Amino acid sequence: MKPRNNNTSEHVRATGSWYRSAIATAVISAVFSVVVCAFILLNHGRSRIVSTDEELELTNLRLEIKSRPDDEQLLSRIRQLDLQIRQQRMNGLDRSRKGSYLLLGGVVVLVISLKYAGTFRKRMPTFSSGTDKSKEQIREARFARWAIAAGAVILGSGTLFLAIRPKIDFLDTSAAGTSWPSIEEINKNWPCFRGPGGLGISAYTNVPDNWDGKTGNGILWKTKLPLPGNNSPVVWEDRIFLSGADPNERQVYCFDAISGKILWKGDVLGAPKSDDEPFEVMEDTGYAAPTVVTDGKRVCAIFATGDVGCFDFNGKKLWEINLGIPDSSYGYASSLAMYRNLILIQFDQGGAEDEKSELIAVDGFSGRIVWKIKRPVGNSWSSPIVVSIENQFQVITSADPWVISYDPAAGAELWRVNCMAGDIAPSPIYANGLIFVIEPYSKLVAIRPDGRGDVTETHIAWKMEEGGPDICSPVSNGEFIFLLATEGLLSCHKVADGKRVWEHDIQEYFQASPCLVGNKLYLLNEKGVMFVIEAGTEYKESAKCELGEDCHASPAFADGRIYVRGIENLYCIGNSD
Amino acid sequence: MICLRKILIGLALSLILSGITSGADRFPPPDFVDTEHVIPSPTVPGPRQDIYEYIDAAVLLAALGLSSYLVIRKRSRRALFLLMVFSLLYFGFWRKGCVCSIGAIQNIVLSVFDREYTVPIVVVVFFLLPLIFTLFFGRTFCAAVCPLGAVQDLVLLRPVSLPSWAESGLRLFAYVYLGAAVLLAATGSAFLICRYDPFVSIFRLSGSLNILILGGCLLLIGVFIGRPYCRFICPYGVILRQLSRLSKWRVTITPDECIQCRLCEDSCPFGAIRKPTTNWSPQDFSSGKKRLSFLLVLLPVLALLGGWAGSSLSAVTSRAHETVRLAERIYLEETGKAEETTDASAAFRATGKEITGLYEEASNIRARFWLGGWFFGGFVGLVIGFKLIGLSVRRQRTDYQADRASCIGCGRCFEYCPKEHVRLKNAKEATDKC
Repeated sequence: MKPRNNNTSEHVRATGSWYRSAIATAVISAVFSVVVCAFILLNHGRSRIVSTDEELELTNLRLEIKSRPDDEQLLSRIRQLDLQIRQQRMNGLDRSRKGSYLLLGGVVVLVISLKYAGTFRKRMPTFSSGTDKSKEQIREARFARWAIAAGAVILGSGTLFLAIRPKIDFLDTSAAGTSWPSIEEINKNWPCFRGPGGLGISAYTNVPDNWDGKTGNGILWKTKLPLPGNNSPVVWEDRIFLSGADPNERQVYCFDAISGKILWKGDVLGAPKSDDEPFEVMEDTGYAAPTVVTDGKRVCAIFATGDVGCFDFNGKKLWEINLGIPDSSYGYASSLAMYRNLILIQFDQGGAEDEKSELIAVDGFSGRIVWKIKRPVGNSWSSPIVVSIENQFQVITSADPWVISYDPAAGAELWRVNCMAGDIAPSPIYANGLIFVIEPYSKLVAIRPDGRGDVTETHIAWKMEEGGPDICSPVSNGEFIFLLATEGLLSCHKVADGKRVWEHDIQEYFQASPCLVGNKLYLLNEKGVMFVIEAGTEYKESAKCELGEDCHASPAFADGRIYVRGIENLYCIGNSD
Repeated sequence: MICLRKILIGLALSLILSGITSGADRFPPPDFVDTEHVIPSPTVPGPRQDIYEYIDAAVLLAALGLSSYLVIRKRSRRALFLLMVFSLLYFGFWRKGCVCSIGAIQNIVLSVFDREYTVPIVVVVFFLLPLIFTLFFGRTFCAAVCPLGAVQDLVLLRPVSLPSWAESGLRLFAYVYLGAAVLLAATGSAFLICRYDPFVSIFRLSGSLNILILGGCLLLIGVFIGRPYCRFICPYGVILRQLSRLSKWRVTITPDECIQCRLCEDSCPFGAIRKPTTNWSPQDFSSGKKRLSFLLVLLPVLALLGGWAGSSLSAVTSRAHETVRLAERIYLEETGKAEETTDASAAFRATGKEITGLYEEASNIRARFWLGGWFFGGFVGLVIGFKLIGLSVRRQRTDYQADRASCIGCGRCFEYCPKEHVRLKNAKEATDKC
């Protein structure tokens, strides 16, 4: 750079007082600007950088409110603090705005005064001292070319640096994957309570029908369960998932399907509970009655405490949330369902008039609540099912008094039927174009699922009012629907009109829901005896296998295998070859 | 005293941005996730009435006309200064720096590539009027109408001359910036020029900290180096430079015949005065010819190299598009390389849309960037080539002249010319006689 000559200082001095006044004004305005700026910076720092005690308290209270959502005093304090902090920030903004105007004014005066002072110091024209202009111009052009070449090199180097950095190949879907499994993948596995769609139907017919837990015949392995639970196993390829809990701990387990070893245990810590309100749940239900759900990448579990936890397949906890302890007479037991990336939670509680029940969709990846919708029902113990009906997925829920269908993507209600009463535990199923729901001890209702709004009067295909199971969910092969009462009364009805084809009293107690394998029903009683029954026009028992341990959970079926949860152990039944 | 003044100026100007930064202080809305409270939808202020847009266009037209008159006919630096202050106040602080002709480039480009985008008529006017005036009168828009130029011109207190090689090298950035801005606008990714407008935050007394720092630094530099944004960054200036070469009338240092007094030689703070050329020696002429031949051959190579380099950056440049950014974020989350979701990725997941669809869309956008990268890189390559050629061509100048491309018509050089003083004296005498 070539500084310009400054040879007019004498002239400037001659102008005397005007020049000094201008400089003095410049100094004063500069000092003023600096002072204003300092105040603005201080104000900025206070509002942006420094976390006040109120903000820290608010942060802590927000964490606390998750475990005490109904604490009005806490809510009131949060609102008060929130308002206080917002007022402080608004005041800060106001000060900043005023300060900015003052600063702008100061700088304007500064510039004007310096410009004015400059008029007293105008410089005389100068000449370059170059003697050989020709050489000078050629040299300047050469330097300029080199400057451009240097610019080009810098651009090229920058390009190279950026180009060689690893980039994401979106077409490599094997690495990227998708958020949710395909229908085919779901059908090949047993990802939720009662398998694909919650229908209780095995995709495999090569499962064993002969084993003996006492001799070990047909038992590939059995593994002791760390904590109790009534939830059923779910299976994804070579992994089996379960949950277990007691009043103090909540865990999710991953088992190796080959060896039966526990690959990992995941703790769901849950929100801290208030000591003065000890939470207890009915012993028969337990703290881990709901079955977990998996999408092939992660597994999520909910417990009677309202704690929901999600883990990846390596056991790393992805997230956990607390929905608050559900107000459930016998303890929360609804299993989780899944639609694409959403974990669906039928969070029914209290009475219908309490308006506390909700259907909640949580993003499986992040744990964020994507949508939730109030349900006009009381507490229930049935599990939602997600089925594809005429190319549209529906979430079907059954509770007192409404059977309601929702759009799983957005939570919008599709249709509802008022036909239930009492404590609803059996889950709905879908077969041959109809939804089947059970009112315990009362009836079986078939509903056409193509309506909109309240279709109580129009879409009930038929009712069979000769009683119904109180716990076990039904199963259907499309032609017949089979009901299994807790006391062992197994009945077969026509899907078309609900007429009873036959019934047989097995005279055993059942809690596990029946499943269909090919054309055989698998019924697991409380003593761990599996009854294999022909699913035909008459009762015909084809096998009976004993496990040797009491069982409450429904079995899971895989390729050539059955996974059964006993009271204390998880069993893998199959052929060793 | 000089040092003290420099320090004070620098200190005050650099602190402007810090003060204004507080204006950008914002805070999130209340968290009502777990309650039934519905956050009211934000209200969007209605657009300005059309009449104000037409007024803006009329003011622009009047300012351009006046500026052209003052530069070409009146030759009054003082009047130009006053017009510049008016433009700064009106287009800058009053109109908050928007619409501006510089950013209008992007609207025009987007309207060409996106048929669904309708460019407002006032934007077209703001884009075209300065170009038309430049074709006739040179860069009179830069002289006293552009608020970005005006704010820099006002803080130019202690100008120093940059060597011509530095000027040539730095000016390359403006071409790259123009190319990038066109690429991003054409792909619907971003309005780069608006996003990184260094002075709009000062006009609005609010903005992001980074932009305030950028604007503050440019003003600080602008105290010593005249109009750094206009000369080395402004993408609209790139277009005006080329059109100004073709202008029908142009700024002249002297109102009469140049007497080669050399008084104006060092008067331009923007390095826009060209000295008379001299004859080359036979040796220089011979080597110049060889160099020129080589550069002419090199030109298509540079264009191809630039195109290849631009296209190879598609994975990087495409990140300017929000869909690609979202897809990359989702990819990282899905592959376990990112643990937390962002607001954007969580919102996408909440839609229930297929991720593969997002990947496909992002791939298509990348492909557009790949193609656009060829044009962008090719353009930059050609610019480099033409600049090298331009610097290798022998020029013929007998007088001191204002460079047609670089001269912004600020009028500072007028008073250095003795002939100008004669003209003013004659004009005054003529007025007195009347």
